[in-house]
Amino acid sequence: MAGTASALPDELGLVASAHVRYIQSLDTRKDEYEYWLTEHLRLNGLYWGLTALYLLGRPDALPRDKTIDFVLSCQHENGGFGAAPGHDAHMLSTVSAVQILALIDAFDELEARGKGKAQVGKYIAGLQNRQTGTFAGDEWGEEDTRFLYGAFNALSLLGLLDLVDVGRAVDHIVSCANFDGGYGSGPGAESHAAQIFTCVAALAIADRKDLIDKARLGAWLSERQITGGGLNGRPEKKEDVCYSWWVLSSLEMIGKTDWIDKDSLIAFILRCQDPERGGISDRPGDMVDVWHTLFGITGLSLLGYEGLEPVDEVYCLPKSTIARVLGDERF
Amino acid sequence: MSQHGIARSTRVRTEEQKLLEIERIKKYRALEDQVRSRASRTDYTAELFHLTSQLLRLNPEYYTTWNVRRRCLISSLLSKPSPGSSLSRASPSSSPAATPTRPSASSSSSSSTAIPPSPGSPTAGTSGTTAEAGQTKDAEILTSELTFTIPLLIDSPKCYWIWNYRLWILQQIIERLPIAAARQVWEDELGLASKMLNKDRRNFHAWGYRRQVVEKLESAVLEGQSMVEPEFAYTDKMIRTDLSNFSAWHRRSKLIPRLLDERRADDASRRAFLDKELALIREALNVGPEDQSLWYYHQYLVLNLVTTAGRPTIAPALATEDRVTYLTRELVDIKDLLEDYVGVKLIYEALMEYTMYMCQLEERKPDADERAQLIEWLRQLKKLDPMRKGRWEDAERDYGLAEPRFTIT
Ligand SMILES: [Zn+2]
Repeated sequence: MAGTASALPDELGLVASAHVRYIQSLDTRKDEYEYWLTEHLRLNGLYWGLTALYLLGRPDALPRDKTIDFVLSCQHENGGFGAAPGHDAHMLSTVSAVQILALIDAFDELEARGKGKAQVGKYIAGLQNRQTGTFAGDEWGEEDTRFLYGAFNALSLLGLLDLVDVGRAVDHIVSCANFDGGYGSGPGAESHAAQIFTCVAALAIADRKDLIDKARLGAWLSERQITGGGLNGRPEKKEDVCYSWWVLSSLEMIGKTDWIDKDSLIAFILRCQDPERGGISDRPGDMVDVWHTLFGITGLSLLGYEGLEPVDEVYCLPKSTIARVLGDERF
Repeated sequence: MSQHGIARSTRVRTEEQKLLEIERIKKYRALEDQVRSRASRTDYTAELFHLTSQLLRLNPEYYTTWNVRRRCLISSLLSKPSPGSSLSRASPSSSPAATPTRPSASSSSSSSTAIPPSPGSPTAGTSGTTAEAGQTKDAEILTSELTFTIPLLIDSPKCYWIWNYRLWILQQIIERLPIAAARQVWEDELGLASKMLNKDRRNFHAWGYRRQVVEKLESAVLEGQSMVEPEFAYTDKMIRTDLSNFSAWHRRSKLIPRLLDERRADDASRRAFLDKELALIREALNVGPEDQSLWYYHQYLVLNLVTTAGRPTIAPALATEDRVTYLTRELVDIKDLLEDYVGVKLIYEALMEYTMYMCQLEERKPDADERAQLIEWLRQLKKLDPMRKGRWEDAERDYGLAEPRFTIT
């Protein structure tokens, strides 16, 4: 096919094997300063990389036994997980740990060699503010709808959602809603695509999507797509691959992915790949990282891109994982 | 690990660069080891505190190090809180010393300059009880912490952990200093929030921080009163600097219901307020109809006219006829925009949406004229905004505008 020269970058397909190699290389970069500076994200990074590998159809690309050992080595007596051994327990790394164990089907190892599901549930439930329903990230008390979603995500995977006051938490989400149909990080905060994802997904887990103003939210989310096909996170901001996930999964949850141009979004994500060394960046030509690599791939998966495993829009895990863990509860 | 806006480089490191990097890693890890081994022995001393300063300057994202720093403050640097306060629960004190230890000379180098006592804090040098001395010391340490975080925030304005730590320090100030002194410190934080917002007008961390600071300044804990008027004035200032600042418009929309309540605005002044806001946004739209920020604020005002349930509105007493008059005026003005601006899809979007609101207000279906207009606007939208074709097709269907294939007459 003789295309024009300017059409060339669009013709780049998903360089799946380069992405697999890139993710495999992440834990071998110990001669790079950046590797050590990002240790506080190690467990999150493992979740991001591993989920990307599963969606790429390469679940075997990282050794399962070592993964389990590492995850369990991050757990504290109180049940919570830190980002790496020696790091304090935090909601964000605890959620990543639960997601990884769900992904590789290793909850039994958590029972056998770790502190057990119940202790993890207790840690997470202990972070709920029983007055307002929302959740803190750790003992120091920062509250944000990100933590509420994380708690719902992990607790429901563990089958322990009844440890928390779901009704109060839902009330809190409602108090974060804005006139534009979106949600912010807390009451009074501006609508932001990533916070919208956390609020909408939490409502989905609580089976309370009826509370969402779907028409207005759908309109707001669809306006995130800008010239060039990429999505931004707020009005008048630049596009960024990670919003391919936050915006698109939210649209999926309210049944409105047809409100954006899927083909141009696919082309945008593909343009953000590093075709030689693998990985996906926030925008074309920028440095790649595992976070944008995952959210580029989950975006493509939601867009039905050929050769990718389907991703669950609520949990950001393969649909097959959610079907296995939650079984008939959700389907 | 989540990079934003850093250009991809194809640079290959030279041997020399690799060696330098390894040296750098060694130093970083040695420092990290010192912090960790002391922390694992719960050795929360001034020395460890000093080490955390070094490590956090290298890596402000290292949340565990911020926590270690908090524990050092609680366990050995700050005076002991009164029993029963929320602090005494959160501080597993490992220090046997009954009197708080002064940070050593080395630890106070966390701030390179001498720390002036905050205005209103107990004057240094006053001979008094141990409690007073403790308070003076606490004031020095805590204000020094605020100083420590500033350069880090300026370098990493989107780092959650720094903002959180700062709020935690401010909370300690409330718990440990006399109200007047604490209040002064919190008031100064508004200056920091403004400074950060001047550097990046949309930084949602800074907006969130400002909101939290204001909330605390208004609360009884700091013997506060409402700040809704100055905050509203602040959004005015921010909007006048940059009309496209949706963060400021958003904040404004959140302040308005309270503002009107606190002014005890009667129906006439509420109407006058609405008129003023509509005039402001109309003026802005006249020069920037491509700007989504403006349309969202306009939508907020229009929603105040058409939805009465759920949230407080600007002019709740308006009769339906008045609402219709308002909305008609807006529709006329927006149609005028079409004469000056060709091909701006947001104009068509507003026309379509507001026409449907009009029908909703009057509890009727679009009349023949409106129907014809809606069909034309949708045609324009499909042409000008093909990305959202699916949305326009859904609107066509939902508004009953799709050409019926088979009509039964
Ligand atoms: Zn991003």
